[in-house]
Amino acid sequence: MDWLEQELKQALRREDPSPGFEARVAAAVGRPASPRVAVMPRWLPAAAAIAIIAVSGGAAYRHHQGVVAKEQLMLAMRITAGSLNHIQSHVKESR
Amino acid sequence: MIGLVQVETTIDFAALVREHQSMVFSLSYHFLHDRDLAEEVAQEVFLSLHRHLDDIKSPEHAVFWLRKVAAQRSIDATRRRKRRPQVSMEEVAEPSFRPSFQDPLLRDILKRLIATLAEAPRMVMIMRYQEDMEPSEIAAALDMPIGTVKSHLQRSLALLREKLQRRGVGEN
Repeated sequence: MDWLEQELKQALRREDPSPGFEARVAAAVGRPASPRVAVMPRWLPAAAAIAIIAVSGGAAYRHHQGVVAKEQLMLAMRITAGSLNHIQSHVKESR
Repeated sequence: MIGLVQVETTIDFAALVREHQSMVFSLSYHFLHDRDLAEEVAQEVFLSLHRHLDDIKSPEHAVFWLRKVAAQRSIDATRRRKRRPQVSMEEVAEPSFRPSFQDPLLRDILKRLIATLAEAPRMVMIMRYQEDMEPSEIAAALDMPIGTVKSHLQRSLALLREKLQRRGVGEN
């Protein structure tokens, strides 16, 4: 071992931590682990809102489509009834 | 009738802390060059030891485990700090006079020069000269090929010698 290695051994000799280190470790060991708080991801409320809007929007759209279809059917029936009445009156007149 | 004898090995945690606190703290302190952070790391290492106490098979295993974990945690801490090297070569003050052998000033310069080495060679040098570990022991502790350990030692010694000679130390 040459002079540099001797000097390194001296420079890097062990040192003690500050007084009370042992007690601090003992206290940290005895300390109960901090309770884990369930942290909600920031995006979760927004995602939930989007999902609710999509579902309710879909239901509303389906309801709206049903109403439109019903109105179209009623209109068609009224037109058909009108046409039938018109034909019936023509038939009566021709007699 | 031959009964089974259960041998219980009780590892005394408090005794391990008392016995090895300077080893763990110094590994971290010489690596990080920061007393407060080194104490934090040393405390983390002992808390981790407490959690893994059942895995410790013998006092020798405890020493191996502590050195390995202290090295890992110190390297993690320096990466978290994101200020490597903490002391740049340029910051190592040129002494106004030539430090001589067995001079506290020379030892201080050496500590600072070691703090400028890259992570792996720095830890290798600290384990070699603080703990007097053989290259094979360092290789096992750092999960590193023994050839790499020897190479880090040779290169680091050559670098330190060159830096010191530039400061007029160790010239023939």
